[in-house]
Amino acid sequence: MNREGQDNDRKSGQFMELLSRLLMNKAAVIGLIILLVLIFCAVFADVITPYDYAAQDLKNRFVSPCYAHPFGTDNLGRDILSRVIYGARISLSVGVLSVCLSAVVGIILGAIAGFYGGAPDNLIMRVMDIFLAIPNLLLAISIAATLGNGIPNLIMAIGIGAAPTYARIVRASVLSLKEQEFVEAARAVGASDAQIIASHIIPNCLAPIIVQMTLGVASAILSTASLSFIGLGIAPPTSEWGSMLSAGRQYIRDAWYIVTFPGLAIMVTIFGLNLFGDGLRDALDPKLKN
Amino acid sequence: MSRILDIKDLSIHFLLKSGTVKAVNRLSLSLDEGETLGLVGETGAGKTTTALGIMGLVQSPPGKTLGGEILFDGRDLLKLPTREMRKIRGNDISMIFQDPMTSLNPIDTVGEQIAEVIKLHNKVSPAEAAKEAQKMLEMVGIDGSRYNDYPHQFSGGMKQRVVIAIALACHPRLLIADEPTTALDVTIQAQVLDLMRDLRDQMNTSMILITHDLGVVAEVCDKVAIMYAGEIVEYGTLRQVYKNPCHYYTKGLFASIPNMNEKVRRLTPIKGMMPDPAALPAGCKFAERCEYAGEGCGAEQELRDVGEGHLVRCFQCRKQTGVSR
Amino acid sequence: MLRYVGKRLLMMIPVLLGVSFVVFTMLYFTPGDPAVQILGDGASTEAIEALREEMGLNNPFWIRFLTYVKDLVIDHDMGISYSTNRPVLDEILSRFPTTIELAALSVLIATCIGIFCGIVASVRQYSIFDHLATVASMIGVSMPNFWQGLMMILLFSVYLGWLPASGFDRAICWIMPSLTIGTSTAASIMRMTRSSMLEVIRQDYIRTARAKGQSELVVIMHHALKNAIIPVLTTIGISFGRMLGGAVLTESIFAIPGLGSLIVNAIKARDYPVVQGGVLFIAFVFGFVNLAVDILYAYCDPRIKSQYAGGRKKKWKGGEQA
Repeated sequence: MNREGQDNDRKSGQFMELLSRLLMNKAAVIGLIILLVLIFCAVFADVITPYDYAAQDLKNRFVSPCYAHPFGTDNLGRDILSRVIYGARISLSVGVLSVCLSAVVGIILGAIAGFYGGAPDNLIMRVMDIFLAIPNLLLAISIAATLGNGIPNLIMAIGIGAAPTYARIVRASVLSLKEQEFVEAARAVGASDAQIIASHIIPNCLAPIIVQMTLGVASAILSTASLSFIGLGIAPPTSEWGSMLSAGRQYIRDAWYIVTFPGLAIMVTIFGLNLFGDGLRDALDPKLKN
Repeated sequence: MSRILDIKDLSIHFLLKSGTVKAVNRLSLSLDEGETLGLVGETGAGKTTTALGIMGLVQSPPGKTLGGEILFDGRDLLKLPTREMRKIRGNDISMIFQDPMTSLNPIDTVGEQIAEVIKLHNKVSPAEAAKEAQKMLEMVGIDGSRYNDYPHQFSGGMKQRVVIAIALACHPRLLIADEPTTALDVTIQAQVLDLMRDLRDQMNTSMILITHDLGVVAEVCDKVAIMYAGEIVEYGTLRQVYKNPCHYYTKGLFASIPNMNEKVRRLTPIKGMMPDPAALPAGCKFAERCEYAGEGCGAEQELRDVGEGHLVRCFQCRKQTGVSR
Repeated sequence: MLRYVGKRLLMMIPVLLGVSFVVFTMLYFTPGDPAVQILGDGASTEAIEALREEMGLNNPFWIRFLTYVKDLVIDHDMGISYSTNRPVLDEILSRFPTTIELAALSVLIATCIGIFCGIVASVRQYSIFDHLATVASMIGVSMPNFWQGLMMILLFSVYLGWLPASGFDRAICWIMPSLTIGTSTAASIMRMTRSSMLEVIRQDYIRTARAKGQSELVVIMHHALKNAIIPVLTTIGISFGRMLGGAVLTESIFAIPGLGSLIVNAIKARDYPVVQGGVLFIAFVFGFVNLAVDILYAYCDPRIKSQYAGGRKKKWKGGEQA
């Protein structure tokens, strides 16, 4: 029996245990189902949408929800259901990508700060403090205003704004981990700092990062919608939930469905992510569960 | 001497999703004024649950007291309304908890915590309560000037003294001490025990001392009750039980203590584990660990008097007269 | 304690300098020429050049930044708004009370509702109320603020006609905005209170209090709550920051002339001095709120207080919130 194999066995055992704990949690399962449905919508949007999201039908403007248009149509006669489904694609991809960006930036900075301590730590964390001193959404708005519209810029704006949170989490974990014996042992056999960080420290502080990432996708989606709502980020023809709300706002007196369904979609998405994230946290750390 | 506490047929169960945990089963106990009873058993035997049952503090749900009665001064505590029970708690009956590190509220000063119980049960002004609390602090050997200190500024032994001061502040007639020394260093243990013994003698308080340390019992107690899986398996005076342990579990307990006078290679532990309180066997609960188990152990065992109030829950135990003196 | 507060205030200075640097840099790189903006597209090249020179726009980055900081520190001058030609600080100060009053009102409502529901849910764990409150709080934190605002306008203004959809001059106008801002805060405060209370209720000292014969009300409200409230304070502080950021959206929905709508309009109009000043100002307020939370922390928890009071301040890198 080689050690690698044992290691893998143990890891997959842990994973199965985690999975079973997660599946025991009703709320987490509901969250997971919501997420799977959303991912399905995002991936197969082209196939499942009844209409093209950008197709205007000026004869059928402001159609109330009916059989042909379950969510109604907007001021340009576009099918709201189709637009909401396409919106899942934008929201999820922006959410996931911006969280990945902030996690990568945050993990690297946090690991360096925690591992080396001293001056690098001070420098990095003081910079993070500066970013944390600006409320998250406001920071994202400022960055988005600087970078201009467009999806990559939006991802940057939201991703950078959230990075300090990850840096803090990673730094705290690293600080407690680096004194532990397995790190000493790795150093004793001559592993380089980068190797130690990558193969010993980060894997061991993954749990809080994963939880934070799940919940982070939720707030990233919220930020995306918020930015688009005030006209930053995603330009009009693209269907994004926030910009749909923004565009529908002026018709609120006559067409309730234009502002209702996109917002409902945001809410359900965030609801699912929060349920799943909370469940994940409980499953990863059973001690915390009440 | 008058009877202060009489527990009859007390059962406390925890109704959990995974099943019913029978923590205390048809337990009977009695205690006279000024007496000290040692309640001995291993972890999970139901000692603490019994104590909390007397205090009316069993967490409910899931805990549930099923039948039986707890007569304190002739009044059944189980039938008292909450309001009446609150007047007894901390006043007539008080309790010292196992872990002094966590038993004090971190955000109140120790003085406030002692004064709180005094104010609750006596008609005194806050100033008088504070003064009384200061006196209690000094009584347990803490300088009165530390009234305004917070628990985190005290060591474990000092905290336990504070806990004792809280328990004794209203001069209770019955004190339940739940492993008061387990969490402490050995040297501090002796101090705390001495302190409790002195205070008990000064105030003529009856006491139930819960412990798994037979040595402590020998030092402090008049009577002993051995508990196993929620039942009392042997009960008698210190002399009766120590000189003449009858139940095989009690014998096993004594055999598992290292003896200073004999050199032994190995201790003789009782083999096996206490049965899961959620799935108790019928008949003698100890049977599966008992070397002498045989026919008849499967039947429900009654506590029988084997002479002069020495009660044993084992049918194999013979009547002994005079021997135990 | 005073020394600690002083130290914290001093520590805010580099952070605020950093914030102004970050914001200044961002806006520096934003495309567009302020001079063109002020004078309009039709202005002559000479006029634009003259204005650029006058505004110091031709100076190198560092000079411009240092001038900005110098004006800020010495003259409390944040520059002149490009669009209204009024001093930025005046603009901000005239808008700020509305925003802070709204935020304070919302925090107040949210804290009362959140803590009350959290206590009841934890004391009656697994009861119907607990389940309902948990689900409601989950929905509350999931709802985008601005959408909730729209839905409330739809229901209470458009359909029921009970409340005005915009305005801020009458008390009735404040109901929807404060509820909109307060809902998610109430939800997170409730969740935090509940889990913190559940944690505390299991502690031995709660049993000690009960063993004293203390009434259940005092056990919960004094012994449990005073301990459980400590992490809730952090939540309130964080929510306050989120609220200041969120004001940007809520104020635009309800047409409230606060700091948030000032910033949004300034972004749209590329009125950079206002954006810069607004963000800096909010960071400043946010810093104060965090400081207040930390002081409250020490007030509530003697263990933390003694760390400040004693000579062991180093141990606590103040202001760090989880």
